[in-house]
Amino acid sequence: MNDQLEDIKKARNNWQETILNKRVQRFNLKKSPTKFYTPADIESHSFLEKVGFPGEYPFTAGNNPFDFWRAYAEDAAKIGYRPDWGGAGGVGKYGGFGTAEDYRDYLKRMHAMNRKGGPNIAFDLATQCGLDSDSEMAEGEIGRVGVAIDSFQDFQTIYEPYTGELEIDKVPSNFTINAPAAIIIAMYVILAEKRGIPLTSLKGTPQNDILKEFIARGTYIYPPKESLRLFRDTCKFCTQNLPQLNINSIGGYHIREAGATREQDLAFSMSNGIAYLQAGIDAGLSIDEFAPQFSFNAFGGSMQIYHEIAFQRAARRIWAGIVRDRFGAKNKRSMMIRQPITAHIGCISTTKQRTINNLPRAVIGGIAAGMSGGIPGAFPPFDEPLGLGHSLEAVQLQLDATRIMIYEAGVADINDPWAGSYFMENLTDEIESAARSEMDKIEKMGGAIHAIESGYMTRAIAKSAYERQKRIENQEDFVVGVNCFNSENEIDVTINRVVETTYDPELMETAEIRQKEKLARLKRERDNTTVLSLLNTLRNHAADESINLMPDICECVKNDVTLQEICDVFRDVFGEAQPVKL
Amino acid sequence: MWHKLCLNKTIIQNKRIKYTTITWKHGGIMNQERKIRVLIAKPGLDGHERGARVVAYGLRDAGFEVIYTGLRQSPGQICSAAIQEDVNVIGLSILSGAHLSLTNKLMDCLKTQEAEDIMVLVGGIIPAVDINKLKEMGVAGVFTSGTSVSEIAQFIKENV
Repeated sequence: MNDQLEDIKKARNNWQETILNKRVQRFNLKKSPTKFYTPADIESHSFLEKVGFPGEYPFTAGNNPFDFWRAYAEDAAKIGYRPDWGGAGGVGKYGGFGTAEDYRDYLKRMHAMNRKGGPNIAFDLATQCGLDSDSEMAEGEIGRVGVAIDSFQDFQTIYEPYTGELEIDKVPSNFTINAPAAIIIAMYVILAEKRGIPLTSLKGTPQNDILKEFIARGTYIYPPKESLRLFRDTCKFCTQNLPQLNINSIGGYHIREAGATREQDLAFSMSNGIAYLQAGIDAGLSIDEFAPQFSFNAFGGSMQIYHEIAFQRAARRIWAGIVRDRFGAKNKRSMMIRQPITAHIGCISTTKQRTINNLPRAVIGGIAAGMSGGIPGAFPPFDEPLGLGHSLEAVQLQLDATRIMIYEAGVADINDPWAGSYFMENLTDEIESAARSEMDKIEKMGGAIHAIESGYMTRAIAKSAYERQKRIENQEDFVVGVNCFNSENEIDVTINRVVETTYDPELMETAEIRQKEKLARLKRERDNTTVLSLLNTLRNHAADESINLMPDICECVKNDVTLQEICDVFRDVFGEAQPVKL
Repeated sequence: MWHKLCLNKTIIQNKRIKYTTITWKHGGIMNQERKIRVLIAKPGLDGHERGARVVAYGLRDAGFEVIYTGLRQSPGQICSAAIQEDVNVIGLSILSGAHLSLTNKLMDCLKTQEAEDIMVLVGGIIPAVDINKLKEMGVAGVFTSGTSVSEIAQFIKENV
């Protein structure tokens, strides 16, 4: 074997001198624009250690030999199953607008069209930032980017259509909520309690990934350390009471969308993951008790197809290593990155210019996804950057592109098709090692919490985003139709912009007034003495770090204490996070 | 306050902006060199900062003095910060769809404070139909996604 490697190395050097370099000179280049890999590039590669089998440690080749969706792909084709409409125990389309009544009626309409997935709730920005609809800061935002939730009454209203075959022990829910995640989980708990549904049968996923909010999405409230305390409380509470609920949905793609490089994306999300795992351990749980209920949203997102495939492989390997070796897990499920999608291009890769170009872009992402253990989803629909909702045409093209990749091209028929490629194994190692050295840097800073508190992560990705922008403006990176191949005489490609009627603009317009009226009525009619006394207890318990706040939050929610009233108590006790300077 | 001064400015080479003479309202004259000052602001609750921070870095590199408010500022806070910091330009970054009401409030506030000479720019996900509405409010320029930072810098240099 070694002799063979020596021969290959010699042959490679010979090739470089006699063939490659000559060509480089002939074209008057400084270096070769392409690369070629040989077994010498993965000299110490051990298949069993670095790749292994699908469904086995270190999960480089995938979490499972095949996933649920692949098992029934042919059946799905025969019945024309639409994954975005839910059903078969899945969540429906991510959505939410206006008041709870508006969104409830929308869901009813969807159910009437046989789109019966569990509620996949988008909350408006006021709710995400822990503000009630009557807050001055929330003016103009009520019911805009999601539904407004001020109290349990609102939450309960959304669930009115979810009874019978759609009862909450039968369909899962998805809550894209972070800073007030504990309150939304409490609302779900109280809903189950009122309906007499055992908590053990509740399914769903709260995003509950507050740390990436500081780095990327921006809907944080309290400082990082105090935010992690609330995570700890939800982690322990869910583990002990809602064993089927995912505890969180850790995001890497938000961080990438905010500007992170591939290595920063991987390192920051893994470092956040370590902080969450440690929080569970600090709460007195054993790793295999709670880590199996950690889930992930998505990682990565770029047009570099090879790198994105390598990235997914590296991410699975790193996480499995952390959970097994650092935290001592034995359960395989604890070690897996359970995520709905794998590689993708990221919405950041889509362009407003020549919008339809986003379709081939998304297909490239789909191929990367199919080759890295996921559904080959051509995400997002091409009109994503136009920001007015996806048109029927764009959605159909997205779904059909995905179907063509699955059924015609067979993109997802082979597990980890790049395994053993000299190039891919080399690239996977390279990405893993770059991410690990960034993780070490964060570790030296004292972990994710410190790297967030100091503003390091925020500034690092802002700088990366700016570097990327400069490369585009200097034509070092090329974006077709944006900084190259565009001309004065752009042809006007007609795009069909028929968007399915979803959110009634009139309801959207009046949501704020209606929501405020409802809130004023609630505050008038509820038992305000109880509210004050519950808030008082909550305040005292919040001040004691050792107390799990979930039972108190549940009690508050049950008695119509509002979302902001709870958050305000925490604001007083925990303080508020400070923005990171430039 | 800076914005209440009557400014005579000339642009000289090296992308540096130089104010040759500054005439105070009461008639005094002083010479002073000063970079164009820009306040990049995130009004409302939208937390997507990439655009704001990239534009801030880019304008700084283009020779402007740049101040960034951070997230979740009310139009009133942005207006006060702009006046306090003596800025020539306010760049609002909004991706939540609340651009009409937030911009309107800022324009009202600037008017009340007699600071209408501060140029207001809006960036973010702004549907084409809203661009004119923003301009009618007095917004000097609207820059949607895909705009290069140099384009924004050029616009400011030409219009301040």
